[in-house]
Amino acid sequence: MSTAVLQVRDLTVSVGRGERRLVAVRDVSLEVAAGGSLGVVGESGSGKSLTLRALMGLLPPGVRVDRGTVELAGEQLPFAGAAARRSRRGRLAMVFQDPLSGLDPVYTVGAQVAEVPRRVLGASASASRLRAVELLRMVGMPDPEQRAHAYPHQLSGGMRQRVLIAMALASEPKVLLCDEPTTALDVTVQAQVLELLGDLRQRLGVAVVFVSHDLAVVRQVADELAVMYTGRVIETGPTKEVLERPAHPYTLGLLEAVVDLDDMGQPPRTIPGALPDLAHVPGGCPFHPRCRFASEDCALFDPGFRYLSDGDAERGTACKYPERVMAG
Amino acid sequence: MSLGLEPPLDHAPSTPPRTAGEGRVAVPLLAAENLHVSFPASHGQRVTAVEEVSLSVSEGETLGIVGESGCGKSTVARCLVGLLQPGSGTVSLRGERLRPRRTREQRRAVQLVFQDPYSSLNPRLSVRSVLEELLMFHGLARGDALAPRCSELMALVGLPEDALDGYPSSFSGGQRQRIAIARALAVEPQVVVADEPISSLDVSVQAAILSLFADLRDRLGIAMVLISHNLAVVRHICDRAAVMYLGRVVEIGDREQIFADPRHPYTRALLAAAPRLRPGPDSVAARLRGEPPSMTARPSGCAFHPRCPRAEPICAAQLPELLPAPAGSSRLAACHFRDEQG
Repeated sequence: MSTAVLQVRDLTVSVGRGERRLVAVRDVSLEVAAGGSLGVVGESGSGKSLTLRALMGLLPPGVRVDRGTVELAGEQLPFAGAAARRSRRGRLAMVFQDPLSGLDPVYTVGAQVAEVPRRVLGASASASRLRAVELLRMVGMPDPEQRAHAYPHQLSGGMRQRVLIAMALASEPKVLLCDEPTTALDVTVQAQVLELLGDLRQRLGVAVVFVSHDLAVVRQVADELAVMYTGRVIETGPTKEVLERPAHPYTLGLLEAVVDLDDMGQPPRTIPGALPDLAHVPGGCPFHPRCRFASEDCALFDPGFRYLSDGDAERGTACKYPERVMAG
Repeated sequence: MSLGLEPPLDHAPSTPPRTAGEGRVAVPLLAAENLHVSFPASHGQRVTAVEEVSLSVSEGETLGIVGESGCGKSTVARCLVGLLQPGSGTVSLRGERLRPRRTREQRRAVQLVFQDPYSSLNPRLSVRSVLEELLMFHGLARGDALAPRCSELMALVGLPEDALDGYPSSFSGGQRQRIAIARALAVEPQVVVADEPISSLDVSVQAAILSLFADLRDRLGIAMVLISHNLAVVRHICDRAAVMYLGRVVEIGDREQIFADPRHPYTRALLAAAPRLRPGPDSVAARLRGEPPSMTARPSGCAFHPRCPRAEPICAAQLPELLPAPAGSSRLAACHFRDEQG
């Protein structure tokens, strides 16, 4: 589609070396509309964070992109080296889970935010300082002129996360990548940061990719949803539709397993079995040993990803029997 | 399960029974009375982490303690199991005051399950050796009786018997938490204190561990104190709940009183901020301003007043007492406006 600002096609990432190389992300295709928001949900080992790091060109040593493309506003991005950094600068920015490790303890937060407009946009030192204060105000930092002189350790977790968001926005990116940005925060503060992200998206038109393990959190920020399992995208669609009527049994299982504040009628239900590790992903559909809808075919053939028409919503699933799943 | 290889711990209460709500006379199984805990800070000062905390759990009952980070909930848990000595206040078991150095029996009676099963298990000990050592130390089993008892414990927490010969590194997070629970149950405790037992686990595993806790409570009648920042977890398995803010209990009562009709504005704010899968009409409730203040700069009066949507001048001046809300109820709330409904 032409409106997509970020388009990922068949991204495959592997980890390790030689014979023991494992595929951690397999044929992942995603797309984010300009100013849109995409939530990527999965449990540990689902490949959601590696996918995000590949998008950002920040793969750790020993991890490599085997195939696939990432296009930002129609331009293909390299994955490694100085070219990868240059091609993303000012266009893609990332916010990490732990706000303390993203900040340098020996510089004031104002100086750290100001460094971005100065280095990336070539602004003067004084203009950058003013811009930093403006950015801190934009992310809801109270009293930004004063707080710009604070060091990271003098700020609370929520305020540090706001500083990181301000730094990410300082380069005026088209897409903001968020890797569990609220997991380390308290619920009341988490609610504030989620609200801020929605607000920034509206005001600045920046698209957001939000990776999380928490379906309820993703529901608040993302219009579109992609669910990952064992390195694959197994379901996509508008968040509301996917959460109301999942078309993949793993999504359904996750929803049933959530300990929900409102749903007191039935106790949370467990997905049988355990998450497979990457070295032992089952053949056929990787979810079949844990699936209550599985047939013999599921163990033999990977159903592949396909699109369904569900009213007006464009949805996709990697299940052979989406009708059965959607019927409950 | 063979509970009671030894006679149950039955101590004569040394203090007179307290009157619980609704005229019942009962000695709570485990009770904390007026706990104060402070830690040394820089410049010779002390930071108060827990103030005037009193709570109790009765036989077979599950008490949840909720609050955000830094509210003192884990400190209370550590006082309950005796890992930490409160500066003042007492912890008593069946009415008997526990001295700083607990007897072996008393330690056995109150067990702790930690949050992170990756750091709470010794990587060099097999599951069997952990359990056997405990059973022998407490004189619960020896010789030929050890193996069947270990197998029984594995069955109790839903692990296969051959898991006994594995080491922690060969288990997933959920399995490790089951091992940690087996370790707590091995000594046949009367109370299990669990500090965020599911928050480091994956979503699909959380439900399983939670239902294991519910199952153990129902089958073994073990009392539990469950510490969590997750309101949903507390609502699902606790009979009673206590909400803490900045070192104090701000509301405590029966589960449905707390969740259906919260009387402290902080409880209401926590409920409004919790992410929900199916947002109701009230889910766009006013977001709480600000962040939890630090212990070193505790606001005057009610510590919650700078963030409170309901605050009035009296809140900054006077600390509200923990009193029945509404009058005569067994639920207590520490708010000047506790008689107002949200």
